[in-house]
Amino acid sequence: MGKLLENYSKKIIGEAGVAVPKNAVARTPEEAMEKAEEIGFPIVLKALVPVGKRGKAGAIKFANNVQEVAQLSKELLEMTVRHFPVEKVLVEEKISIAQEWYLSIAIDKQAKAPVIIASLDGGVDVEQLNREHPEKVLTRHIDPILGLAEFEIKEIWSELGLTGKPLILATQALVRLVKVFLENDATILEINPLVLTEAGEVMAAASVMSVDDSAMYRHTELSTMVQLGSERSWRPLTELEKQMVEVNELDPYRGTARYTEMDGGDIGFLCGGGGGSLLSFDALVSFGGKPANYSEVGGNPPERKVYGITKGILSKPGVRGLFVAHNITNNTQVDVMAKGVVQALQDMGKDPLTFPVIVREAGVNEKDAKEIFMAAGIEYYGDDATITEAAQRMVERLKALDVDERGK
Amino acid sequence: MSILLDKNSRIVIQGITGREAAMVTKHSLDYGTTILAGVTPGKSGQDVHGVPVYDTLKKAIQIHEVNTSVVYVPPAFVYDAVLEAIAANIELILIATENVPQLDALKFLARAKQAGVCVIGPNSVGMITPKDRVKVGAIGGDNVERCFAPGRVGVISRSGGMTAETSWMVKRAGYGVSTSVSIGGDGLIGSSIKDLLQLFEQDSETDAVVTFSEPGTHFEEEAAEMLLAGEFTKPLFSFIAGRFTESLPEGTVFGHAGAMISGGTGKPSQKIFKLQAAGAHVLERFDDLIPLLKQKLD
Repeated sequence: MGKLLENYSKKIIGEAGVAVPKNAVARTPEEAMEKAEEIGFPIVLKALVPVGKRGKAGAIKFANNVQEVAQLSKELLEMTVRHFPVEKVLVEEKISIAQEWYLSIAIDKQAKAPVIIASLDGGVDVEQLNREHPEKVLTRHIDPILGLAEFEIKEIWSELGLTGKPLILATQALVRLVKVFLENDATILEINPLVLTEAGEVMAAASVMSVDDSAMYRHTELSTMVQLGSERSWRPLTELEKQMVEVNELDPYRGTARYTEMDGGDIGFLCGGGGGSLLSFDALVSFGGKPANYSEVGGNPPERKVYGITKGILSKPGVRGLFVAHNITNNTQVDVMAKGVVQALQDMGKDPLTFPVIVREAGVNEKDAKEIFMAAGIEYYGDDATITEAAQRMVERLKALDVDERGK
Repeated sequence: MSILLDKNSRIVIQGITGREAAMVTKHSLDYGTTILAGVTPGKSGQDVHGVPVYDTLKKAIQIHEVNTSVVYVPPAFVYDAVLEAIAANIELILIATENVPQLDALKFLARAKQAGVCVIGPNSVGMITPKDRVKVGAIGGDNVERCFAPGRVGVISRSGGMTAETSWMVKRAGYGVSTSVSIGGDGLIGSSIKDLLQLFEQDSETDAVVTFSEPGTHFEEEAAEMLLAGEFTKPLFSFIAGRFTESLPEGTVFGHAGAMISGGTGKPSQKIFKLQAAGAHVLERFDDLIPLLKQKLD
């Protein structure tokens, strides 16, 4: 799922007819001052980063005049919020709030249906509210085929206790938000808070939205708003990770290669198959090994993709050996793996005598693969060893290296 | 017996003329599996390695009475292909395609459920019943026998590749598999571990089941509940991969909804705890499967 920054999600829901505060994006304090004057005071300033709970992180500020906007936007632009440097701020009209509600739409994978979660106690930590006062939080599933009728949406707010004009307006807003969710292939649409303003309007004061990467082929405009690679990471991509994304994108339709850098570690890790890679990593750790990265390849990648990712793995400082393992492959040609890995080792000047390389690759074309690996002086296993056994050898070889080095 | 697939399976491949599907067709035929028909719109009259191609599934059914479909069409066409299979009264649909949009999956899974059709996948590498030499999907590649020997152990795996590796471990231990199923790695799939355990429980030719799991989903928690309720009474061996992921920083929190829905399920340590408490044999290392199978099955 790809995350959208708040200015984009607000644009989308605003265009769908849900009221949102006036807002603009600024990259500098000067720009923020200019936008603030256009919008009018008081002003809310928010760091535009793809993380939640920004309020707690001090990434939302309030300004009453242009001097405060200058000062506070400068502070925000110098911040890093949960590893994300703030490059832009959202300058927004401050709403006079009468009531704060919580609303989200997400996909409930267990029930296999989209689900609406709503509460009239918004603006707070709703996870905590759900634990302590589950009666204040209402959940309602959306039938994947029939959708949800307007009266059913009205019932949600009515059950929570709304009546009068707020009931009508909240119903209208939720009908439109459900439509936004379904039409944009969203995976999360969260409005926290959805507010009743003092003027009696229902407005989305803050919004969070993620969309389904797999559906972006049918949303050309939306796909340009998505933060690339924002799904898995708990921090922005490192330089090396960005390079590896490029290596993968060079042959977008032939196999995949992913690279995630770990803190420290000395074992270069190149494994195959989603499950096989998880198993391999666990196995190395269980024997006391410390992988320097997590990489998986699969789907029969071409040689230059294997070569590129191997070079990337080897280029991280502190890497003292390489572990290459796959489950027994159904379609990945392991001779292609062999060529890519061996070429990368040679070009990076790594001699398997002093730089231990353990390979466990069995499957399509394994005879050729074995020859290539053996000719390069690499310790090779096919289906004569399990992944776990190979992982144990890797850790032993590195420990032997320690002994050698101490002996010198 | 076995589950889902046997010598009575009458197989059709939707999207048979694609590169991957054609290769899988060849490997399946070589293994001894009968594939009766294929469907690709506009290519009626052609054949793929001798398997006749039709424009519509309806036509393929009229002529060949197929009951099992394998979907190999690109992601954007999976929704329609599954509806076509449901409309044609196919009983079992295996979806091999990856990257199917979630809302499409929600819709066709709901339709299949209404119609009482069993769906495996999306993103399944296939399934196999070695006793009858029947396989669907890429599972086993061109060297099926290396990993899949006939026997009495059921295999369920989230990971396609590990479906083969796990079956190979069973073979290495001196046993074979009744049926091995790659249930698919996506978040939204048709049949969960629980659904298949129910089938394996009823299968007189399955004595035990091995599962290979990954972080995420509530599948193992559900399996544990089944064990506790006495709904699965055969030995269950489980390996949960990805323990290391728990020591990584959590992904950036983006909204509360996901966390509220999952209620903290999905962590390997929690799956291990629940399965162990329910009496499953949880493997500390994957290789422990071999001695443990011997110890419990002999």
